Amino acid sequence: MQAVLGLTLLGAAYVVVTMTVAGDRRMLLSGETTHAHHQLEMACETCHGRSVFADAKAAQKALNKNCRKCHEDELKAAKDSHSRKRFRNPRMAEYWDKLDARQCTPCHIEHRPEITRESAVTVAMDFCVACHSQGEQDIRTTRASHAGLGFETCATAGCHNFHDNRALFEDFLLGHAGQPEPTRPAVHGLTARYRARPVSTDKALQPGDAVAPPDALAEPGALQHWAGSGHARAGVNCTACHAADAAKDAPSSQALAHWIDAPPMRVCMECHKPQAKTFVLGRHGMRQHPGIAKPRDLPGWMGRWLGDPGLPVRMTVGEARLPMRADAHPAMAVDCASCHTEHALDTAHAALEACASCHDDAHTRSYFDSPHHVLWQREQAGEAPPGSSVSCASCHMPKLEHRKKVRTTHNQNDNLRPNEKMIRSVCLDCHSLGFSLEALADPKLIRNNFTGPPGVRVHSIDWAIARSRNPEAPED
Amino acid sequence: MLTFTEELLLLLGDEEGLFLPVKEHAFECALAGAILMDLAFAFRIDTDLQALVVTDPVPTGNPMLDRVLEKISARTDVTDAPAWIRVLATEDAALIREQALDSLVDRRILKRQHNRFLGIFRSVSYPTLDEAPLQAVKSRIEDVVSDEIPDPRDVALISLVDACQILPDLFPEWEAKQTASRLELLRRMDLIGRELTGAISEIQDQIIRAARAQAARFKKSLLTLALVASAAVIATVLMPGIGVPDRYGPSLPAQLWFDGTWKQFSGYLLLALSVAGLMIAIALKKQLLAWISGSHRWRLSHLVLGIACVFVLFMHTGFRLGDNLNAALMATYLTVLLSGALTGVVVGGAPHFRQISLSRVFAARRILIWVHALALCPLPALLIVHILSVYLY
Repeated sequence: MQAVLGLTLLGAAYVVVTMTVAGDRRMLLSGETTHAHHQLEMACETCHGRSVFADAKAAQKALNKNCRKCHEDELKAAKDSHSRKRFRNPRMAEYWDKLDARQCTPCHIEHRPEITRESAVTVAMDFCVACHSQGEQDIRTTRASHAGLGFETCATAGCHNFHDNRALFEDFLLGHAGQPEPTRPAVHGLTARYRARPVSTDKALQPGDAVAPPDALAEPGALQHWAGSGHARAGVNCTACHAADAAKDAPSSQALAHWIDAPPMRVCMECHKPQAKTFVLGRHGMRQHPGIAKPRDLPGWMGRWLGDPGLPVRMTVGEARLPMRADAHPAMAVDCASCHTEHALDTAHAALEACASCHDDAHTRSYFDSPHHVLWQREQAGEAPPGSSVSCASCHMPKLEHRKKVRTTHNQNDNLRPNEKMIRSVCLDCHSLGFSLEALADPKLIRNNFTGPPGVRVHSIDWAIARSRNPEAPED
Repeated sequence: MLTFTEELLLLLGDEEGLFLPVKEHAFECALAGAILMDLAFAFRIDTDLQALVVTDPVPTGNPMLDRVLEKISARTDVTDAPAWIRVLATEDAALIREQALDSLVDRRILKRQHNRFLGIFRSVSYPTLDEAPLQAVKSRIEDVVSDEIPDPRDVALISLVDACQILPDLFPEWEAKQTASRLELLRRMDLIGRELTGAISEIQDQIIRAARAQAARFKKSLLTLALVASAAVIATVLMPGIGVPDRYGPSLPAQLWFDGTWKQFSGYLLLALSVAGLMIAIALKKQLLAWISGSHRWRLSHLVLGIACVFVLFMHTGFRLGDNLNAALMATYLTVLLSGALTGVVVGGAPHFRQISLSRVFAARRILIWVHALALCPLPALLIVHILSVYLY
């Protein structure tokens, strides 16, 4: 009995040390972490801060501050409809007790899988009732068309989102009302511009210019793939990646002394900064996000025996919560080379086959039987203009313009949820707003990757038109 | 020379300085008998089947004996030996015991030791300082039982010790069958011993009958409560977690199971109930409080607290078993509750298990209590970690 008591006291002491000093704390998780954050489970301070035994208010404040560290830019870009700034205004004080929009945690609490809904929402989906069912905000009296609607449908019927309504606000709906479906072949403007951009060949390198050890040059296919790649066209020699630590103008013999067979991801990131910046914002690369807390350090031998387990640099297939293919190796880590083939750097492969080599959900599988895939095949065969096809990357990693430069975002989660975020950056290039709203509100159509017409009717545009014609009259 | 009362107390003392588990009523009767024997051997009283009379009212010089002698001389309403044993056992046993212990302490045979358990419960124990008097008494009993010619005083002592039914505890090596006939013979040899032990046995029989009726009622209540507790614990394990309404707004289930303030309230209530249950168990086991020891009511209270714990656990978790360390805490806590409840079922249901031998029932009880205590060991550590983790994260 004494032995059991002693052992448990020792165990408790160990756990208390891991809590307060250093050590693996995953055993303390009170519930499964959401899909967004499960990769960060080992770095508690990313969300929880380091305030030991802070009072509840201070702890909540720290928690919300840490939410904003990673998500504030995204919310700003979304022109957040319920922004913190708006609700911090004392005139909004009457709403603070109803649903405190100044904080994230009233609606998003971690480690509560049982009540966690889509987009990590942990309140019932009729949450709009909190503020929009009384007084001048009572939507059932101010909008006759909404009189018979349940509050649970506000955010689930393709009409409203709490934060991002860029494609759903009334003026936008009116601006796109009555718009016909574009004529085919429709083209993604930015994609077409990107693909048509002039590529300089001034610095282009030939296979004979390659600087690499003989055994690397003899590797089957490597030299040919490199010679046909954008790297060779832009004058990027083998040593630029494989001997990145050598001085830039070092002679070949010296550069080869620094040769490494498998360059780390940071080498890619050094040149492809914009891509790297967005890569760490998505779930593929979020483990390298600068906001993630560093392991708690302990000096010397203590660190070896009792250190925090370091967060793995890359996410692996095995850690994914989405369905993955059986032939995708669980230990395979997601980095640049996972999608962009090592030497060929084939963007076409990265845009489609790379995704489908791991993801195994109905939406992905159905793509290959969808009209979008037919368009892809036609563009690849040269039968359709550049930018007219739809791959995985077309929708989930669209081309974005920033300071007149068109780049591919590598944050594949940016426009994923709520899916109406995709409308402006992707869908409207080829489809009308009405069709896009209805297609994205139809779960069956999403599962079969948009094969067929939408089976869901979204009335947003009709109601907006009716209201604009006669604001006092009830809409149809 | 030691009095019978002192010799009896010496024999009842165990290694920890507590006392052998003699039933309280038997102990009090034996003390009353012992003091009457002391008076009889001091030629101050005499007894036969009908009466107990004072033959010489002159004080003996021993304050304890003289006080009782004075009482017997003064009262005329009590006449026979059984009646005096009842009176002395009821009115004077505690004082007789204290005076005898004081005398043993004064003679440096025993030591009075004041203890504190967990800094709260005070208790007094009497460890032996000088083993010689006890060994002398024991060897006198052994000699008499092993066919030596007995001294009348030794015969009286044996009759008294036998009345307390502690001979098997004192001499576990003795074969019960062999000693029974010798003890019967010795009892017949001594008139005063025979009269008094007969009276003690008679009173004990009456008390035992009443105690048995009380025990039967206790076991019935115990069984009922234990079955309720077992069913509640099993339901906690098997029932799926109760969901919360999918509607925005205040709801009792959502507040109970997801609101930090309510969770703290139910959590600390659970802790308080658990600690109260533990304290009662310790007090019962260690005989820390005289008013708790041996009381059926307190044993039942322990079980009622267990049932209350299951109810508050439901308030705290809603049948959710938790993850990781919380799951370990839940498993440990439920093991403590279930093993405790099943112990109650075994003890309370023993009269109903006629087809199972008593030794098997006792073995089952022993195993369950062992599991109960073993599962209790990691509980404080897991609780500390659980509470700390809630406040830290």
